[in-house]
Amino acid sequence: MSRRKKETHSYSRLKGIHKVVTPLDIIKKKRAEAVSRIIGKGYLSTKRVYVGMATCEIAAGSDEVMRVFRDAISKGGLTDVYLSQKGCVGRCNLEPTVEIIESGKNPVRYGLITPEKAQNIIDRHLKKGEVITEWVID
Amino acid sequence: MGKEYVVTLCEGPSCIHKGSRRLRQLLEKKLEKHGIAGKVRTFLSGCLGMCAKGPIMVINPGYVIYGGVTVDDVDEIVEQHLIKDNPVARLTVKESHLYNRFFRVFGDAKFFGKQMRIALRNCGIIDPESIEDYLSLRGYEALAKVLTDMTPEDVIEELKKSGLRGRGGAGFPTGLKWQFTRAAESDEKYVICNADEGDPGAFMDRSAIEGDPHTVIEGMAIGAYAIGANKGYMYIRAEYPLAIERIQKAIDDAKKHGILGDNILGSDFSFDVEIKLGAGAFVCGEETALIHSIEGYRGMPRPRPPYPSVKGLFDKPTLINNVETWANIPVVIIDGGDWFSKVGVGKSNGTKVFAVAGRIVNTGLVEVPMGTTLREIIYDICGGIPGNKKFKAVQTGGPSGGCLPEDFLDTSIDYESLAEVGSIMGSGGMIVIDEDSCMVQMAEFFLEFTQSESCGKCTPCREGTKRMLEILTRISKGKGQDGDIEKLERLGHMIQKASLCGLGQSAPNPVLSTLKNFRDEYKEHIYNSKCRAGQCKAMLSYLITDNCIGCGACLRACPVDAITGNKKEKHLINQDICIKCGKCYEVCKFDAVAKS
Amino acid sequence: MNEEYITIYINDKKYKVKPDQTIMQAADACGYHIPRLCYHPKLSIEGACRVCIVEVEGQRNYVASCAFPVSDQMRIQTNTPQLRRARRDIIELIIDNHPEDCHTCERDGNCELQRLASSVGIRARHFDGPRKQYEIDLSSTSVIRDPDKCILCGRCVRMCSQIQQVHNLTQAHRGFGTVVMPAYNMPMSESVCTKCGQCINVCPTASFLEKNYTQELFQKLNDPDLVKVVQFAPSVRAAIGEAFGIGAGRNMEGELVAALKKLGFDYVFDTQFSADLTIMEEASEFLERVHNNDKLPMITSCSSAWMKCMEQFYPDLIENISTCKSPMSMQGAMAKSYFAGKIDVEPKKILSVAVMCCTAKKYEAARPELEFNGMRGVDIVVTTREIAWMIKSAGIDFVNIQAEGFDNPIGLSSGAGTIFGVTGGVMEAAIRTAYELSTGQTLVDIEVEGVRGLKGIKEGSITMEGQEIRVAVAHGLGNANKLLDIVRKEPDRYHFVEIMGCPGGCIGGGGQPYPGVNSIPMDENMLAARAEALYSSDRKKTIRRSHENPSIQQIYKDFLGRPLSKKSHELLHTHYKKKLPKGIVPEAAKI
Repeated sequence: MSRRKKETHSYSRLKGIHKVVTPLDIIKKKRAEAVSRIIGKGYLSTKRVYVGMATCEIAAGSDEVMRVFRDAISKGGLTDVYLSQKGCVGRCNLEPTVEIIESGKNPVRYGLITPEKAQNIIDRHLKKGEVITEWVID
Repeated sequence: MGKEYVVTLCEGPSCIHKGSRRLRQLLEKKLEKHGIAGKVRTFLSGCLGMCAKGPIMVINPGYVIYGGVTVDDVDEIVEQHLIKDNPVARLTVKESHLYNRFFRVFGDAKFFGKQMRIALRNCGIIDPESIEDYLSLRGYEALAKVLTDMTPEDVIEELKKSGLRGRGGAGFPTGLKWQFTRAAESDEKYVICNADEGDPGAFMDRSAIEGDPHTVIEGMAIGAYAIGANKGYMYIRAEYPLAIERIQKAIDDAKKHGILGDNILGSDFSFDVEIKLGAGAFVCGEETALIHSIEGYRGMPRPRPPYPSVKGLFDKPTLINNVETWANIPVVIIDGGDWFSKVGVGKSNGTKVFAVAGRIVNTGLVEVPMGTTLREIIYDICGGIPGNKKFKAVQTGGPSGGCLPEDFLDTSIDYESLAEVGSIMGSGGMIVIDEDSCMVQMAEFFLEFTQSESCGKCTPCREGTKRMLEILTRISKGKGQDGDIEKLERLGHMIQKASLCGLGQSAPNPVLSTLKNFRDEYKEHIYNSKCRAGQCKAMLSYLITDNCIGCGACLRACPVDAITGNKKEKHLINQDICIKCGKCYEVCKFDAVAKS
Repeated sequence: MNEEYITIYINDKKYKVKPDQTIMQAADACGYHIPRLCYHPKLSIEGACRVCIVEVEGQRNYVASCAFPVSDQMRIQTNTPQLRRARRDIIELIIDNHPEDCHTCERDGNCELQRLASSVGIRARHFDGPRKQYEIDLSSTSVIRDPDKCILCGRCVRMCSQIQQVHNLTQAHRGFGTVVMPAYNMPMSESVCTKCGQCINVCPTASFLEKNYTQELFQKLNDPDLVKVVQFAPSVRAAIGEAFGIGAGRNMEGELVAALKKLGFDYVFDTQFSADLTIMEEASEFLERVHNNDKLPMITSCSSAWMKCMEQFYPDLIENISTCKSPMSMQGAMAKSYFAGKIDVEPKKILSVAVMCCTAKKYEAARPELEFNGMRGVDIVVTTREIAWMIKSAGIDFVNIQAEGFDNPIGLSSGAGTIFGVTGGVMEAAIRTAYELSTGQTLVDIEVEGVRGLKGIKEGSITMEGQEIRVAVAHGLGNANKLLDIVRKEPDRYHFVEIMGCPGGCIGGGGQPYPGVNSIPMDENMLAARAEALYSSDRKKTIRRSHENPSIQQIYKDFLGRPLSKKSHELLHTHYKKKLPKGIVPEAAKI
């Protein structure tokens, strides 16, 4: 792969004469900013909860499940939890899926989660640290 | 309670060669010996992409990677790491960026072990509506690298080295297509993403867009740079509202960050993407019909040559690729065409996403390296046929593909091998069929679809598929005639060779492949009035056997009052009235209703 | 320019052909006529019918020879048993979805589908099944549409969108239910169809036909109470021979007069007379506009398809249109006023029939704006095809008939009237008269070459009274659109514009005989031959200017007074108004 730069690029080849900002520089800066923004949203919380929100998951009811988690954080006093949505991971017959990642532990993926089971997960797993093995996809 | 570990050993060809299976056996023995077998689970995974450093062992939590593990190291690993929680430094291999991205979705290693997620690398990991998530995982780095260090010719060279082939079904070498489009001289060029995904039951592209829209946009931008285009179109079917919403948000977010639009990332390159919605036509997944649709005309294909790379959208050179192809591009750029070409087998490099559906335990989306066998996907990854039923066939390629019986389960999944056995890779649909499905009805279902979606322009497809369908319907209704099979084959071969576009050319494939592989079933339908799967109602009759004790449950359940009988006496089904709904069969507790 | 040739092999024989052409063109040049259906040299290449398929070595599937380009060392097979069988099957599939009523079909014996079926040798039906069933659309005055007979070659769609640019027809729905129709399947009479009939010309079967009035006409010809008067257009005489197996280009004026007399008409008049009348009125109108600085450019109005097109697509140009009626309508008006007076017959007793090359004339004859004194100027319009059939059906030996002359007082015409049928003819005729009326001098170069020929849009200029008069001519509605878009943008560019709705002018009208076995619609040679029949007729005449026609001078003296008189305005002029059929949205059409 050649390292030739085309004349049409907006920065000159004469590095050292003046500092040029390349697209790679820009994107690295953006990445750093993005990471800090994510951390600002609570990514470094002890527990990260991901609820699948693709069309197939929503059709199986994952939007209700998401609402349970959201309400738990905003109204139910659940703290130190980073909640996010994720795309479809391919486990179609076991949707809705919820993934819980805790630092230092193996991620736990739950399948066939209903709003009731979601509440259970909040009470038992998130608040008390109990992994509900019957619902784990393995 | 001590920590629980998951140990994964790479079972890629290179690591097997270096003894990874033996390692696993030894490891399990040691775990037993130390009494911690209950806390440590071991798995074998597909190739993790670090063959030079093999055999690879990964221990989680912590993503600790050991390389070059030998049988002598096992004791130390067990004692130091798994018991005392001290990773063994001398064996630890620096976390390669390859590994970090491809084997994130683990913990469900039975399902993901043999997969290799390249196109779907971020699906299920990031929030698709967050450009921050995408950026944090090296998003748009490939585009930045291209704009900083590479000329368009460099990009195309990398694509050619990778051996990536179009994932929409045709499998045309992507690098070559980019080269042709670049070579065509014009003041304006276009880039199109084909997200029309019309195959019934296919959802690979939808998942890719709903799970990781930015990677498609990044791929399109790189493609536009390579061929010299400044405008792109995302042609997405209107039946995917969430995907449309997410890709629109991705476009808007990218624009806000200066990653799309004028002077991308401060360079001279400008590129913008517009969304065009489909209107419910399967034929608009064909590239020339798609182009007509974007231009505002009726979606009908036109003869090629000239190819879209020379004369496409608005008569300008156009690069049109499938969603999955675009999703692979950033990986090819970052990890290099050389690395990509090592994944896969023969002339089929990289991975392919399949939507596995039908009579299977784990329906889902899988992405496997080319060369994986059908058996591995169906039985290892997706758990085989539920209910102890017998496998009958697997249909690959959607309505354009063929049905392969058990003998072909060990076929390697790559373009050439599948074509050799009479099917196609297609866009990735894979439907598993068990003994309870009728192959004639299967063929009829697909042909009905293609006939109703035929644009009507060319005679063989418009008229020929209809006549084939009439014959098939007759056969499934028990009115098959001598000579019908020959007529189907005569029409089928003519339609394959004489049709204008891929829809027509592949419409007879399900019929012809089932005729080839399941000819006996057809013959039974025609000559013996028998449907061995028990699906064709016309040839089905329900009878009450001597097991009947006269409980009357069937009489009450029958929706058309076809059953007569007195209490405690054997009942009788009137065949003239019976509509073969099967309700009596369902409710009988005494096994007294027989299907024949 | 160096003529490089490449080598190709057709059926294993070596040939040297020019590059940059399709297999079909190369094969034609080498003497192999590959059977074809949807292909037409003037329409876009679609590769739709798959009848022209050939085998090319290296290609997995058959390719359409009309679309596939030749390349050096290409090996082509056109006639292998597999290909023959595939072609045969394809055409059988078409027939299997086509009504089985050849015996009672208008095009029995003259149908491209019959010819194709015969050439591939279909002797059995293997794939017979249910056929499509649609309703026949008889709503239009001019063009009837029978979707059952349509074989979806797409020629009408392309003709209507690419050449005529009316965009009335398209394929709709999918699969077996694909059908060619106006938008929303509305009746043709309500659609934007301009009745030009070009769809009939290109249709290989009887899916499009003109509305047939022959039965009604035969009925009326046997009515003793009526005085039967007929006129026929210049283009009819230039083409009628073709319907009887005589090659294109013979002007059979006298023979047709004789045949019509034998058919039962009492008086046979010439539309060319009223063409002269039109020139008198129109040239005068033009000069008046020039002198009074009125609305220019003036646009001719004899083409009825063009009139419908104008009212729905270009109503903003209504003030530019000449108020003159078309020659046919002027003739009808004169027949039922001037002539009725001459023979002392009640106008209502006169049956005024016109034989036209045009299907839109049927629509024009029925327009309420053209009625006067509660009567239609023309009661029945039949096309060249219809009259040819009537002549044959009545057992008249047209080929050997003795020519006869037109009747007076409205049967004599000048050469200017003759050339009305060709594109540029009206303009030329108008210039011949306008020049003399305005300058008082005779136009020396009487044949205005600039406006002749088959170029889509022609421009010319002539100096009159020191002023340069710029003219433009367009034929075919597609070219008309282009020209009128220019007129909208640059209203000062031209003074006088002639529009003819059909490619080639009226000689290519929607009612002309079907092309013969070795010809195709819009064949330029055929059009040139028909044009030459009229031009040579003009050359042979002694009176070549409309104002020199003694019958014209007489009618003004006796009846009309002078051009643009009150009487002229009553009988020979009309008005137009904006008419938007379903599907034209005013805002979108910028009207």
